[in-house]
Amino acid sequence: MKDRISRGARSGTINPALLIDRFLHEVSRYSTALLLLMVFCVETGVVIFVIRDLRAADREVQRIYAGSVLGLRGIGELQYQAQETRRSTLYALTTNDSNLQVAYADQSRAADRRVTEGINDYLAHARMQREIDVGKRLQRDWSAYLKVRDEVLASILEGSTKEAVDFDLNGGVPSFDRVRQDLEEVKRLYDEQASQRLAIVDESSRRSAIRLLGVLCFTLLFVSVSVWAIQKSRMLSALKLAKLQMDFVASVSHELRTPLAVISAAAQNIADGVVDEKEQLAKYGGVIRSHTRQLNELVNQILSFASTKAGRAHYFLRPLQVSRLIDTVLHNTREVVKEAGFVVEALVEPGLPDIVGDLSALSQCLQNLIGNAVKYGGTHTRISLRAFQHKADDSPFEEIRISVEDHGIGIDSSDLPHIFEPFYRSPVVAAAQIHGTGLGLPLARSIAEAMGGKLSVVSKLGVGSVFTLHLPITAKGDRETATLTPDSFIRQ
Amino acid sequence: MRRVAGVSMIVAAAVLLLRVCPPAAVSAAGSPQEAPAEQNLAIIVNQSNPVDNLSLQELRTVFRGERSHWPNGRRITLVMMEPGFRERKTVLREIYHMNESDFSHHFMQGLFTGEVFVSPKTLASPEGVRKFVFNVPGAIGYVRAADVDDTVKVIRVEGHLPEDRDYSLRIQPGK
Repeated sequence: MKDRISRGARSGTINPALLIDRFLHEVSRYSTALLLLMVFCVETGVVIFVIRDLRAADREVQRIYAGSVLGLRGIGELQYQAQETRRSTLYALTTNDSNLQVAYADQSRAADRRVTEGINDYLAHARMQREIDVGKRLQRDWSAYLKVRDEVLASILEGSTKEAVDFDLNGGVPSFDRVRQDLEEVKRLYDEQASQRLAIVDESSRRSAIRLLGVLCFTLLFVSVSVWAIQKSRMLSALKLAKLQMDFVASVSHELRTPLAVISAAAQNIADGVVDEKEQLAKYGGVIRSHTRQLNELVNQILSFASTKAGRAHYFLRPLQVSRLIDTVLHNTREVVKEAGFVVEALVEPGLPDIVGDLSALSQCLQNLIGNAVKYGGTHTRISLRAFQHKADDSPFEEIRISVEDHGIGIDSSDLPHIFEPFYRSPVVAAAQIHGTGLGLPLARSIAEAMGGKLSVVSKLGVGSVFTLHLPITAKGDRETATLTPDSFIRQ
Repeated sequence: MRRVAGVSMIVAAAVLLLRVCPPAAVSAAGSPQEAPAEQNLAIIVNQSNPVDNLSLQELRTVFRGERSHWPNGRRITLVMMEPGFRERKTVLREIYHMNESDFSHHFMQGLFTGEVFVSPKTLASPEGVRKFVFNVPGAIGYVRAADVDDTVKVIRVEGHLPEDRDYSLRIQPGK
């Protein structure tokens, strides 16, 4: 039966409202940490984007520098060396000293070697067809000029100045002009490439700026939505708590008023002499006693909750026989159970080890569970109270489990996460006019946790519920006093 | 004591003399031996010059300026080193058979009378000569064989290169 209920609870359909509710609950719980995490994640994303774009821009600039700036510098050097080749040749015309003429020829040849190397280097690095074409044309024109230059130099050294000038005017000047035009063409190509690369950098910068702006806008939006969600969840939590408290006040008022009205009416009847027979008086006395006890239990429950909330609940822990605890619980609940027409079937596994706990508190815990089983038991009036030893799969230690199982209305899966919250009452039970304060289960869980145990539930709507108290098995003789802190409720 | 010092000085002087004048350069009788090939005079022309060999007589004609063009039509340019170089002295002695004074007189008179077509260019160093010949296709000059590199071409004289045993243009040491 228990397995069937458990399976039913696990295979329940997913409710979107429940999911949103859970989400808001979790957001409310870890709001600051979540916000910081989100902001950190988004900021990390922004930084990664910015670094990536900066590195891309840096690479482009380096390409521009290597490709265009250095290229232009190289072309400038080529132009200078070409001029130097021609200049040195013409300087040789200015002297009749053969030694000086040879020195000028030497300078001219050194400069022309540098130009030739520069052209070869340009051709080696040329990638575009236009670059290759211009480079080859430059190489061809430069060779043609050098041939003329050699003739001019030879004529100068031979002493034939007129012949040298004729050679230079007819051949040297035009061929050197062609070289100069070729160099200008190469320079133009570099300029074009630099412009293209600059456009790429501009585009990259613009893209980076847009990305950065987009990511910052997204961050702002994201943070705003996060803050809104957190504030909303907090507000909802506050509203929910306020509503729960209002419901609690209304419920408590109702719970107080009903027995008080009964007691008041009975007392009025007795005072007015409406009831004078002994049997009727005894019946009225029984009614007054019953409702007084109900009032007393209600007040005790509220006080217990108030004391646990304020951290003033003290428990005296001592070794305790499980059977004694069960007997106490059965004794304390017999009247309630009997009046409701229910039967509690108690089954205690023989030879159970002692537990350590406060008898009164544990009894209160189990009484609350049995009280709920009676309250929500519906037409099936049989309640199972079982105590047994069990070893959980996820724990190396064995524990004592005391379960209270009913076959009543059960709990909706959307209510399960909230049933241990203070003042929470399921809309289903509220609509069904089942009275309660919403403190019984929170108090039971607080007691279980104060004893070093826990309280679990498996339930399915319309089938029933099983509440299980898990208590650790501790060595005999351990005695200590535990204090229940307010966090016991907050940490639900 | 004085005698010992005198003997020591004589021995030291002998050792110094041996170091300064290696045995290979001094014959047993004290006369100059055959100079090494590096000391021979190389006649150089431009690499583009088709001439590979000249007889001593042809060489004399060229150097005396009595021939104006090479067989390829290039004008002949004579390159001489400045007075004082042993290379120049060797050329004057072996090719021109003149001294400096005769050399000057020959070209002054020849150019005036039109018998000489070429006026020699004078350069101050073997490197200058080599570079001049490298730059001028019709140039002809001379340097020590040790100063030759692959920028110029060495022509044979009477069929011999400077490294040959029978090569006639040798630079006299110490003169």
